[in-house]
Amino acid sequence: MLETVVQAVINGLLIGGIYALVSIGVTLIFGVVKIVNFAQGEFVMIGMYISYFLATYFGIDPLLSLAISMPVLFVIGVGLQHFLIRRVLGLGDMPQIFLTFALSLLLMNVALLLFTANYRTLHTSYSDLALHFAGLYVPVAKLVAFILAMVLSGILRVFLHSTDMGKAMRAAAQKPEVAMLMGINPDRVFCVATGVSLALAGAAGSLLMPFYPASPTAGQVFVLMAFVAVVLGTLGNIKGALIASLMMGIAESLGIQFVGADSGLIVVFAMLLLTLAFRPNGVAGGSAR
Amino acid sequence: MQRLCSPAFIGLAALAGVLIVLPLVVTSHFAIDICIRILLFAFIGVAWNLMGGYAKQLSLGHAAYFGLGAYTSTIMQIKFGISPWIGMLAGGVVAMLASLPIGAVCFRLRGPYFAIATIATAQVLMLLFLKFRDFAWGAEGTTIPNLGNTPLMMQFEAKAPYYYIALAMLALGLAITYRIERSWMGFYLVAIGEDEDAAEAVGVNAPQVKRNIYMISAFLTALAGTFYVQYIYFIDPNTAFNFNISVEAALVSIVGGIGTLWGPVIGTVLLEVTSALLQSWLGSGLGGVQLTVYSLILISVILWRPTGLLGVFTDAYKWIVRAPPAREAAIDG
Repeated sequence: MLETVVQAVINGLLIGGIYALVSIGVTLIFGVVKIVNFAQGEFVMIGMYISYFLATYFGIDPLLSLAISMPVLFVIGVGLQHFLIRRVLGLGDMPQIFLTFALSLLLMNVALLLFTANYRTLHTSYSDLALHFAGLYVPVAKLVAFILAMVLSGILRVFLHSTDMGKAMRAAAQKPEVAMLMGINPDRVFCVATGVSLALAGAAGSLLMPFYPASPTAGQVFVLMAFVAVVLGTLGNIKGALIASLMMGIAESLGIQFVGADSGLIVVFAMLLLTLAFRPNGVAGGSAR
Repeated sequence: MQRLCSPAFIGLAALAGVLIVLPLVVTSHFAIDICIRILLFAFIGVAWNLMGGYAKQLSLGHAAYFGLGAYTSTIMQIKFGISPWIGMLAGGVVAMLASLPIGAVCFRLRGPYFAIATIATAQVLMLLFLKFRDFAWGAEGTTIPNLGNTPLMMQFEAKAPYYYIALAMLALGLAITYRIERSWMGFYLVAIGEDEDAAEAVGVNAPQVKRNIYMISAFLTALAGTFYVQYIYFIDPNTAFNFNISVEAALVSIVGGIGTLWGPVIGTVLLEVTSALLQSWLGSGLGGVQLTVYSLILISVILWRPTGLLGVFTDAYKWIVRAPPAREAAIDG
């Protein structure tokens, strides 16, 4: 019994690392640009397809293609911010929500047209490897993905705290007007923030590829998880999003283990609704705007 | 008497006349099917628009009420033999009651996070109906027994009666919107939509107003759910709580004109006709074309015409009626 619980916790923790990359991306855009990116999951999906095609046509390992998917997604993010999001800033909820929402629909369906709905899996040399100890089972691909996800989160933290750009980003997140007075160019900061956020989504996609099938709708689960984690971890708070994502991974995994294979999402959504119902202030710090 | 002679009234009467005669003239099953879809989704859009358009509570979970309406009437019909006409009203009441706790939770959030919370509610309901198969057939769903031509059980051999039911529902939705638009509630809703804190500061009881409009919106959406499963004779959680229903409800309103009486209708006509044309050109085999085009239309509307395409038509109308408008515009502006 204890073993099953520990095993479920390990499984959840490992996938939680991927959720964390997506949630950190969502919370970064939300904190800096004040936009909720409904399309974040689709950028995970794009990252997955980039790694898939690089692996099938050029034999590049998905973990190495991280070095390609992240810069590509960064550039897409800068473009997205500059050409689309910038035009709806300050226009109220409707355009802001439905612009990224429409983008999510668009990317998903264009992917459906281009790549069909087929699931595409990559089989790497380490896809079937697993560590065994004390009756527990730790798949290597997931472990590597988890470690790299944590490393990337760590690098992001260093970036935000010790580089000028990172400090400018945090300043713009806290008080945009004052940041502007200090000579920070908000457009540039916003572009970098969206770029970094999408690069993290792309990284999540590449890291998923050795053990998770790519499909046009693959990003959906991750973005829903990210939204819940971002609300649970207080909006705009990166450390909160990270911890909440790991917790959600564990909760989902325990749900699958003890309630039933199709109940992972019920547990997660129930967590979201219950938290909102009983502890909205502790979670969102007043109103979630 | 003067009201009866106004151009708006004559136009409306003419439109109603055309719509009533339409199924007698159009005999193609394909065409009448599209008309029914347009009327149905325009009605769902109208229901969404009451809350999403006027009060700007942008729900992406109206499939929850569509599904509850569909399941309530189907369960009552198959398990207890009760007519879907009664089931339809019962479904509306169930949806209304469900909107109370859902609203109590979701209204704690604003803007995008309200939208996300509503997505979660619809998804949870879908997952529950998938999971509890003893209660409502689980994932396999069920077909609705075909009793032949039995108007009392909302089943007809011809398509025209369905058309008239959908038309009546849309007329009801528009009449309710018209009344609310001109009542105190309408003003409260718009005030909340503009700035909720400011509305509360001048004495609008925002939580109560939002709760009431959510109940009305949920009730109407549930009616559409019952009608839809009666029309297609089939129900499963994926049909009843389909996320696309939530999306389309919001989409038609935004494309047509959010927070306007006729916006959802214009939006539905535009999107459904586009999708029908696409289908006849490309065939239905290519998945994804319809939603690709929908999302491109939505992005264009948001970037260039955030008030919706209804404004384009009214502007054109004004331009025709009182050309040249240049001088007046200069004075106004």
